[in-house]
Amino acid sequence: MKEVAVLPPPNPEEVQQTLAGRSAEVEERVRAAYARTLEPLFRAGLAVAAVGGFGRRELFPHSDIDLLLLAESDKSLPPRENISAFLQGLWDSGLRPSHSVHSVADCVTEHEDNAEFTISLLDRRLLAGDAALYQSLEDKFRQFQTRRGASLARQIAGLAEGRRAKYQNTIYHLEPNVKETPGGLRDLQTTRWLLMLEPREGTPDLSAAFSFLSGDRLRLHELAGRDQNALSFDAQESLSDHPAVLMRDYYRHARVVDQAVRQALEVSTEKAGTLLGRFHEWRSRLSTSDFTVSRDRVLLRAHKPPQDLSLFEFVARHGLRLAPDTIERLHGFTPETKWDDWKRMLSLPKASLGLRAMQESGVLPNALPEWRNIECLVVRDFYHRYTVDEHTLVAIGSLESVTDGRFTELMSEIENPWLLRFALLMHDIGKGSGRDHTVASVEIAQAVMERLGAPEADRETIEFLVLRHLDLSSVMSSRDLYDGSTARALADRVGTQERLKLLAMLTYADISAVNPQAMTPWRMEQLWRVYLMAYEELTRELVTERIHDAAGMPAERARFLEGLPTRYLRTHAAEEVDAHFTLAQQLASRPVAVEIQHERGFYKLTLLTRDRPALFASVAGAISSFGLNILKAEAFSNSSGMVLDTFTFADPHRTLELNPPEVDRLRGVVRKVVEGKQEADKLLRGRPKPFLSSRMKLRPRVSFKDDASDGATLIEIVSEDRPGLLYDLANAISLAGCNIEVVMIDTEAHKALDVFYVTHQGHKLGDQLQSELKSELLAACIGSR
Amino acid sequence: MKRIEAIIQPHKLEDAKEALKNIGVDGMTITEVRGHGRQKGHTEVYRGMEYKVDLLPKVKLELVVGDARADEVIRTLVTAARTGKIGDGKIFVYEVADAVRIRNDDRGDAAL
Repeated sequence: MKEVAVLPPPNPEEVQQTLAGRSAEVEERVRAAYARTLEPLFRAGLAVAAVGGFGRRELFPHSDIDLLLLAESDKSLPPRENISAFLQGLWDSGLRPSHSVHSVADCVTEHEDNAEFTISLLDRRLLAGDAALYQSLEDKFRQFQTRRGASLARQIAGLAEGRRAKYQNTIYHLEPNVKETPGGLRDLQTTRWLLMLEPREGTPDLSAAFSFLSGDRLRLHELAGRDQNALSFDAQESLSDHPAVLMRDYYRHARVVDQAVRQALEVSTEKAGTLLGRFHEWRSRLSTSDFTVSRDRVLLRAHKPPQDLSLFEFVARHGLRLAPDTIERLHGFTPETKWDDWKRMLSLPKASLGLRAMQESGVLPNALPEWRNIECLVVRDFYHRYTVDEHTLVAIGSLESVTDGRFTELMSEIENPWLLRFALLMHDIGKGSGRDHTVASVEIAQAVMERLGAPEADRETIEFLVLRHLDLSSVMSSRDLYDGSTARALADRVGTQERLKLLAMLTYADISAVNPQAMTPWRMEQLWRVYLMAYEELTRELVTERIHDAAGMPAERARFLEGLPTRYLRTHAAEEVDAHFTLAQQLASRPVAVEIQHERGFYKLTLLTRDRPALFASVAGAISSFGLNILKAEAFSNSSGMVLDTFTFADPHRTLELNPPEVDRLRGVVRKVVEGKQEADKLLRGRPKPFLSSRMKLRPRVSFKDDASDGATLIEIVSEDRPGLLYDLANAISLAGCNIEVVMIDTEAHKALDVFYVTHQGHKLGDQLQSELKSELLAACIGSR
Repeated sequence: MKRIEAIIQPHKLEDAKEALKNIGVDGMTITEVRGHGRQKGHTEVYRGMEYKVDLLPKVKLELVVGDARADEVIRTLVTAARTGKIGDGKIFVYEVADAVRIRNDDRGDAAL
């Protein structure tokens, strides 16, 4: 292997001096060659000028020397052999001149097919020859620039966009090219040109980025002995003892350049009035008393942003971006955030844009100092395309562009998307600590949530997700998915279907954000199989896994728990179990115990009683008869025949809220139907027929599974939700003479997801009964029973 | 020389690689593939929605060895990748006419 000395890191002054020194030296040689060869022949009517990088005095050891030979007119161009003699001398001294011969008129004409030439003239200076001639170019070019500046800017922008597209518009390349890749020197120069042609306020400071990138380019040239600008793995190792640190710095600077060039490109391209532009203007109607929206960019009305996250929430709600002026005003801004602020923003469908805006304006690390751990942190392997912070934001963004139908459906079933998004925000935050990053991430997440005041239940879920975020990937690649024990072990670790869904979507996002090609159909299929396997195991467990001999419990308590599904303990907090146990004590003196609580905009009814036929349907009917909308329900029974039903419902007409006595009446009616003193059917007779839209989005689906448990048949129903749906479904099951053993009901938006475990005379349902019940249930779904 | 192509269950890849390493075989090409054989196309039901699974994820392992080693490699792969269930996969063996190492023109077994 070739030995290479590790070169010292660049120092801004040194970089500047080296570039200028090299320019001056080359300049001398060009002048000398000109004096020797052309000057004696053309006392007037010819001049030589430095253009491009040479014109800017930014000459790298092995870059081309851009020269313009300026003639008075096309008729007075110098003969070819004279030019050859001039260039020969330069070539012989080891330079690589790249020249062009043009008349003044030619220089101020637009060249559709050679915009690069006109662009190179933006950085021009006289080296030798006819000064008066050069002055006429100066004057004419200035007029040309005033006249055609906007058009030239569009050409520059077009070239930059084409080049950036070749690199997928991202600065994140493992082996970037310091000149060409987005965020590189070419982008930096593009920004300068665009600002030169269309000056505006708030010019970004690119000097640090320039020194860094130029320093790297200088050393790359020295290292390779030619015009080599790729920071390959080998080069990274030659340039630094700590390549990961070098690259972290590289991305930090490239990001500044990338942001600046994107803003500049936006300004130049947006000038052209288009239909799309008019649509964007129309969105200015989104403006509020705090924010103005213009061309999809958010501007602040007040001088300072609101103290909380409402600006970013606004961005996330409407899918917008911050205006350059807003970003400037956010400089150094530290919002005061509480858990609810994050929760609100992260619940929105375009949450990733809110986070992007926070990152772009530098607010994210101020609001979440732990974010600094992973800023521009490089993972050096062949798979990870992005730095850790970028990976995190790409992952959150990937939830917004899920294309596979199965995962789209899964995503829509997630009740608390903010938990998923916050877990993703934290999942790699412990990277770079030198320890197992999952453990380090959990510790950091705990501290963050403690500070933000997250409630216990949210904290537990997020800690679980962060700690387990690699579990599904590991099962995907190293476990036999057809082996029952794999499913059981996974179901055991995950605990509930709710958590499984969160974990599956988190894994989906995490894999998708490794690099743009990482989520192959192969991986997607594997992930889905893992999800499905664990999902079915957890559904099966609803009836098969029962609490038995609850350890360390007083006898009374153990009797209460005996035979309830293990899901009961997994999904209820200790206080809830306490409350249920206390309610159960009432059953000693009365047949029914009912409690109704109002919490966070919903009502929750808890019912304990002895089991009897059609119990679940009757209670669902009683609740619906009050015009209440059931969102969730669970029905469990223990070994001694006690039934524990819980119903969560909304009060769309504010019946209970505006008439507190109605709560007591509801409690009374529920008691009566349970005791058989009132019939749910009669209560419901007066209710208006549900309005059924003909464009019902969801085709109802009913499926039966016999192998899900030893003693009961599983019925799974997915349907468009509507008032009274649960009563109609449960009633259909009861009318068929079936007993409902376990129920789990959920609603996501307009979609009802119902799972019933059902027996008929103590056994599974026969084929005949299944097919009859299926048509009854399908009819119930569309309300035509 | 033989080219050995093994299509195996994804979770058996590590075992197979390890077993090959133990008999001194390090070089191979690994591809993530999807396909089906007798364990083919079945329908799965998720939330009442039936969807057809006709392509199952598998891993394809390819290597070229000298004739003398082919049987040993095949036996090793079979042992490492077997679970005894449908879907364990298959091994195909092809004759290879020649091999050339681009770096130095090595030919035949020497190029492996």
